Amino acid sequence: MLTMSEPATVPDPNSPANMLEADLVRHARRGDLKAYDELVRRYQERIYATIYHMTANHEDTNDLAQESFIKAYTALKSFKGGSSFYTWLYRIAVNKTINFLKQRRNKHHLSLNDMDFNAEHDPDLVALISDKTPHRDVNLSELQKKLNEALLKLSEPHRMVVVLHDVQGVSHEEIAEVLGCNIGTVRSRLFYARQQLQGYLAEYLKS
Amino acid sequence: MSETNNNFSELKRLLKLKQHEVPPPGYFNRFSGDVISRIRAGESGGTQTILEQYGSGSVLTHLLQIFHAKPGIIGGFATSLCLLLLIGVVLADRPDGTSVADETIVAPTVPGDSSSMIAQTGLLPPSDSGITISSNSPIHSLQAMPGMFGSQQNPLFQTVGFMQPAQ
Repeated sequence: MLTMSEPATVPDPNSPANMLEADLVRHARRGDLKAYDELVRRYQERIYATIYHMTANHEDTNDLAQESFIKAYTALKSFKGGSSFYTWLYRIAVNKTINFLKQRRNKHHLSLNDMDFNAEHDPDLVALISDKTPHRDVNLSELQKKLNEALLKLSEPHRMVVVLHDVQGVSHEEIAEVLGCNIGTVRSRLFYARQQLQGYLAEYLKS
Repeated sequence: MSETNNNFSELKRLLKLKQHEVPPPGYFNRFSGDVISRIRAGESGGTQTILEQYGSGSVLTHLLQIFHAKPGIIGGFATSLCLLLLIGVVLADRPDGTSVADETIVAPTVPGDSSSMIAQTGLLPPSDSGITISSNSPIHSLQAMPGMFGSQQNPLFQTVGFMQPAQ
């Protein structure tokens, strides 16, 4: 018995979603906004997360993230391809965020995002919260606020290495490339930042 | 040192909380569109004249694109419209600037026309003289006028017309 199988869907190689980063960048440099749209979609979450963890303010993050992508587009002609487009974009976002925070030194306004559903079930977070406390969800919000306040006490360079490494899992080498410093500087900043945070959050870190 | 390492472990676990912070639902569905809209708005506003900008597409489409890219402009636009409306209402409610004396003095003149000369001087002949003066501007009189049944009517004002008798 012959059966007709449905033709397999062949992904369109010319679709921006299937193109390599280098090809997307080449198209975007010629003014192809569909290609750039795809680049934005690929990196928007990581860029947003880095900026948000630095500012603890969703509205500021939205503005800075958009401006970072816009600046990257207008500066595409100057992108020489020495590093990956993502690293180059990351550097733009990091510099823009640090400059923004320096201008607003000590004038922080928290506008924290909600936590997703999985936060209450994360074993690491559950282990930190005392099982004698009846309202775990309140404790999570309190922890979130205290953690963000502690991070904002760090200087921008120290906060950045903690955000990139301990929150986003970026390697020391990549952090060094993004920040334009050597790996030793990254490690020493990370150690100092962790010590500072440990002091600010001692109450919540008792085992 | 081991205590420090142990605490750093707990610190790292606490920092994992940051990974659970997420923007509002649907945020990333709109983000790239907002970026592209702002890029397009920046491109068209920087290099084209107004005619070039709006000639090839509908004005409404361009406006909507700009509003979508910069929502704050909507508030400013609405405020400007309200202010213009208010100014228009205030100007429309202003009373007309002309007066009775002005109506008398500015009656059109014709060379050799005695009625026009009288109109220019502001002096009107008595009503029983038989002399009437033509005028393009109606004269509003505040004097009491005799009514149909002999009673004096004293309207606030009424239009009085004068006709020059045929000579």
